[in-house]
Amino acid sequence: MANRPLAEAKCLPAALGLGGLAAVLALTEMLIRLGWVNRFIVPLPSEVFVSFERIILEENVLSRFLATAGEALAAAFLVSLTGVALGAFLHRHRLLRRACESWVAGLAAAPLVLLYPLFLVIFGRNALTIVMIGFVSGLPPAILKTVEGFAGTPKVLLDVGRSFSLSPSQLFWKIAFPSALPVIFVGVRLGLMFSLINIVGVEFLINFGGLGQLVNELAERYDLAAMYAAICFVILVSVFFFIASEKLERWLLRSA
Amino acid sequence: MTSGCPALGVGLLRLAILGTILLLWEALARSGLLFRDVVPSLAKIALALGHLGTDPDFYRNLRGTAAEVGVSLAIGGSIGVAAGLLLGGSRLLGKAFEPYIHYLGPTPKIIFFPVMIMWFGIGPGSKIAMGALSCFFPVALITAAGMRQIDEVLIRVGRSFRARPWQMATKIYFPAMRYPLLNGLRLGFGVAVIGVLLAETKMSNQGLGFMVMQSYSQFDMPGMYALLLVVFALAILVNATISRLGGLDSTQH
Amino acid sequence: MTGGSAGEDGSTVEAAGGTPVLRVENIVKRFVTDSATVTAVDHVSFTVAQGEVLSIIGPSGCGKSTLFNVIGGLAEADEGRVVVEGRLMSGPDPAIGMVFQEESTFPWRTVGDNVAFALEVAGMARAERTKRVRHYLELVGLKGFEQHHPAQLSGGMRQRVAIARTLAFGPKVLLMDEPFAALDEQTRLLLGDKVLQIQQELAQTTLLITHSIAEAVQLSDRVLVMTYRPGRVKRIVDIKLPRPRTAEIIGSKDFGLYVAEIWSDLRGEASLGMKDAEAHLPQAE
Repeated sequence: MANRPLAEAKCLPAALGLGGLAAVLALTEMLIRLGWVNRFIVPLPSEVFVSFERIILEENVLSRFLATAGEALAAAFLVSLTGVALGAFLHRHRLLRRACESWVAGLAAAPLVLLYPLFLVIFGRNALTIVMIGFVSGLPPAILKTVEGFAGTPKVLLDVGRSFSLSPSQLFWKIAFPSALPVIFVGVRLGLMFSLINIVGVEFLINFGGLGQLVNELAERYDLAAMYAAICFVILVSVFFFIASEKLERWLLRSA
Repeated sequence: MTSGCPALGVGLLRLAILGTILLLWEALARSGLLFRDVVPSLAKIALALGHLGTDPDFYRNLRGTAAEVGVSLAIGGSIGVAAGLLLGGSRLLGKAFEPYIHYLGPTPKIIFFPVMIMWFGIGPGSKIAMGALSCFFPVALITAAGMRQIDEVLIRVGRSFRARPWQMATKIYFPAMRYPLLNGLRLGFGVAVIGVLLAETKMSNQGLGFMVMQSYSQFDMPGMYALLLVVFALAILVNATISRLGGLDSTQH
Repeated sequence: MTGGSAGEDGSTVEAAGGTPVLRVENIVKRFVTDSATVTAVDHVSFTVAQGEVLSIIGPSGCGKSTLFNVIGGLAEADEGRVVVEGRLMSGPDPAIGMVFQEESTFPWRTVGDNVAFALEVAGMARAERTKRVRHYLELVGLKGFEQHHPAQLSGGMRQRVAIARTLAFGPKVLLMDEPFAALDEQTRLLLGDKVLQIQQELAQTTLLITHSIAEAVQLSDRVLVMTYRPGRVKRIVDIKLPRPRTAEIIGSKDFGLYVAEIWSDLRGEASLGMKDAEAHLPQAE
């Protein structure tokens, strides 16, 4: 590889990736057309591609997208506010932190989405249940990373503040918080990822709300091509969201 | 606060917090403020837990789910490790295909469930497929990253002693990658459990997820709490065990 | 063990000339561990005159950094007191400006905002602040770097930012704890030159803590040698090298003599510290 011209070496991987994807799709198309793969189990990729237009025009994708985005936004708001506040609180009270941090880590390892039937009973089959699932599943990483961020503040920076006679609240807002902010943001982003995954998942499971429900409905209608297209659409939306949040994080870290 | 015996202080504080939560819970249960049985009394939950413990059905479903998770972890994990080694070992392949895995990783896998039902039926097959699909991504990504982060000097040392490929694998690569591999196993287990259980709640006639939905449809709230408590406890326990095995920090996420 | 302040051979403990700006009187600092009470600093007294540079040198573990924290007000002494221009210090005080050994610039602030930090906290008006920041950045040779972030600078430049940040607040005494420790040898010499030049320009009373003999001799009017555990004043050496000094002075014969003299004082203390460290290593069975 090292001998290749630079420009070629740069595009080659991307070309190989896209080419590989195209090859898999073409192979699938061929196998189905040859009758080696049942077209009632796997629809033709070309049909799926055509169905994109259908789901966008006929299935209210925009309003579904907005419904999911609204739920995600509400959960994001709750996660960042509560997570950062609780994390800061745990950091300030060391004994409490030592008592609770491993509990929070345990919750982060528990399949919290499974609470959804419980939330269905408590909140009903509505957007609130979905938002609460998003909130609960995104909270532990936000708390953990906030605590980690504060704990990682270099002692010397706090000493600088103290040498300039800063008050405790100035120490917090001028030094500890900005110093912890990059790690806090990593935690919030992680939390939002979990929130979004579980929001779409629960939409699918309880057949309510936005994009997740779309997949479920199409599956129930047995509209194969459209269902595959809807799945691809959801994947595209989430991939777009993750790329955007990654870019945002990098930008924030650079300007931090 | 730091004076005295801190370990004792932490223990006491934990007891105090737990006690407060339980007391508040019980008070809420008895107040009748919430809809009946949304917050059942502790006695009822304890009774339901005891009931679960003696219920042969529970053990049958637990075995079913555990088997599904185990098989899905074996399948998804080994494919993930293989893919990770391939991507981590070759710069070209890594650059070409890793972005896809990286961005597909954090997408809601459960929406593939209808596809999996069509491919593998409504039985355990589709649940295993969900679990395997879920755990493939983190395992592949962590393995690839682990392969790349091996200190290059170690590889040169191995080469300088003219280690054969098999020796390189068992004496250099594997030991150098044990932490990422275990961490992959831990994260893979976590998402496989979610994949399998969620699939079970959507459509199945066995497994713990099925039991949760059963208690939901019968409005058996104490039963549901008991089930969820057991599932969470088991998941946390397995996670902590893997962490301890590998000497990983369990608070690391 | 009591009261014995310093100057066993009769060298000057009092500031050589001028009025003492900083008086450090009988500082004692003990640490309580599980098994014993360790005296880190034992009845240390000295003064620093207006415009003078005093270096404190000693082996690792002699309590230099403890002394730094006590004088700066970040730690409380068990006995003794610190007085600046007749005023008793209690806790951190604007009269003493600290420069730390570790990387201490705020990575989320620009260079300019770093230097403005203390002024901003003290509530100085923006226009005045900007003027001061520009002045002190120029003084440390970082003109034009206001908008850069610390991550874009070299280690030596970042340490200059930290020094400018402290100087901008106008301390009576500049207190530095091994400010060049994290830098390479050449940068260290050049930065030493820069600090000397600034110190002369501002006639800044300076207390420098270091473990480098060459650095102490290069920069100081007097060098205070500390003993290893408990940290006491072993002796104070007057450095009568001509000023203004530059790094070239390290080639001179007198420089070498001073270094040799201080090393002969320090050698025994340093080897004590090394033996101690070896004794505390966990032994293989």
